[in-house]
Amino acid sequence: METLSDEMIMQKVAEGNLDLLKVLFDRHHQYVYNFLYKMSGDSMLSEDLTQDVFYKLIKYRSSYKNGSFLSWLFTIARNNLKTHFARNHKNHLSADVLDHEIIENQNEAQEEYSHLQSALNKLSDSDRELIILNRFDEVRYEELALIVGSTPGAVKTKVFRILKKLKEIYLENI
Amino acid sequence: MTMEKNHVKDRLPDYLDNVLSQKEKNAVEQHLKECQVCRKELEELRILFKAMDEDHIEVPTERLKTNFEHALEREKNSMGKVVSITQEKTKSNWASNVLKVAASIALLVASFQMGGVFQKQKADENLLALQNESMQMKQTVMLSLMENQSASKRIQGVSYIEEFEDPDEAIIEALADRLLHDEHDNVRLTAFDALSKFTTSERVKEVFIQALENEKNPSIQIGIIQTLVQIQEKKAVGPMKKLLEQEDTQPFIKDQIKAGLPKII
Repeated sequence: METLSDEMIMQKVAEGNLDLLKVLFDRHHQYVYNFLYKMSGDSMLSEDLTQDVFYKLIKYRSSYKNGSFLSWLFTIARNNLKTHFARNHKNHLSADVLDHEIIENQNEAQEEYSHLQSALNKLSDSDRELIILNRFDEVRYEELALIVGSTPGAVKTKVFRILKKLKEIYLENI
Repeated sequence: MTMEKNHVKDRLPDYLDNVLSQKEKNAVEQHLKECQVCRKELEELRILFKAMDEDHIEVPTERLKTNFEHALEREKNSMGKVVSITQEKTKSNWASNVLKVAASIALLVASFQMGGVFQKQKADENLLALQNESMQMKQTVMLSLMENQSASKRIQGVSYIEEFEDPDEAIIEALADRLLHDEHDNVRLTAFDALSKFTTSERVKEVFIQALENEKNPSIQIGIIQTLVQIQEKKAVGPMKKLLEQEDTQPFIKDQIKAGLPKII
C-alpha cells in the first residue's frame, strides 16, 4: 500500500474502500495542519480546520476525478481557511464580538512565533501561501499551479521572487 | 555589465535544492566563483533555507487522528447496505442491461399476442356456445309454446320456426303434430305455412299427405294441395283422387284438385 500513489489510493476510496483514507490521512494530515498553522498562527483553529478537510474527503470522495490528489487536498484546505476568515470578518462587524476577538488576539500573541514565522507573517496572504505550500509542504510547481489557478512557470517565478522578499525580511531582523 | 546579465540569482533556489542538471550546476558554480553579488545572494538564501529546514514542525494533537477515525467509522456504518447496492450496480454493465430490457419487452409482446390468440379462441368458443345455447333456448321455448293451451301462444311458437335455418327433427315433429292434431284452425294453418318451407324433407311430405286425408278446413286443404302439386309429389295422387270421390269435399277443393292432378302426372 505504501508504494501506491495518492491518486491510486483515492480512486479506490472513491469506489468505496473507505479504510484506505487512513493511509492518506497518515501521509498528509501533518502537512495540511502545518499549512493551516503557518497561515493562521492558531494551533486550535488549525486542528479544527484540518479535521474538517479530512471530513470533506470522506464526504466528497465520489466527486474525486483522478486529478492531482495533493492539489485537491490543499484546495480544500485553502477554501476552509478562506471560509473561516470570511465568516470571522463578518463577525467583526458586531461590537461584542470585536471585543472578544481582541482579547483572543492578545491570547494568540502569547503563542511564541519563531523568527521565521514572524518573517512569514509579514508577507501578504497569497505570497505566504505559495511559500508555505512550496517550501514546507513540498507541493511541486505543477500542483501549486493547479491550486492557485496559474501555470507552473509563472508559479516558479513568483515563488523565487517571494523567496527573495522573505530572505530580506528575515535577515533584516536577525 | 556582462556580469550583471550573467547573474544566476534566479537559479540559486534550484541550485540549493540540488535539482539542476549537471551542466546547469557547473555553469552556476562557474559564475559564483567570479561574481561576489551572487555569492552573497547564495549565502543569504542558504540561511533562509536552513531556517526553513530547521523550522519546528507543529504536530497536531492525537485528538485529530481519533476524531478522523471516528468520522470514518460513522461514514462506513451509515453506508451499510448502500455499498452492496452500488457494487451490484457497477457489476451489471450496460450491455446486459440492454439485453434485460430487450428480453422483457420481447416477453411482454409475446405474452400479449399469446393472450390475444387465446382470448380470441375463447371468445369464439364462447360465442359458439352462446349461439348453441340460444338456439336450444329458442327451440325449448318454441316447443313449449306449441304445447300451450292458448291457441295464440301455440301460433307464436309455430312462428318461431323463422328463427331456424335448419330445424331438427324435434321441431319438424312438433310442427307436424300441430298440423295434424291441433284443434284450432289458425294453429294448423300456421304450422302448415311453417312446414311448407321444408318440403324437401320426406317427413314433411308424408305429413302433408296424411293431413290431406284428414284436414277439413278448406283453406288448409287448398294450401296443401297447391304445395303438393308444386313439388309434384306422386304419393299425393291417391289421397287427392279419394278427396274427389268424397261427397263432403267442397266443390272448389275438387276444382283445385282437378286442376292440379294433371300437373303431377
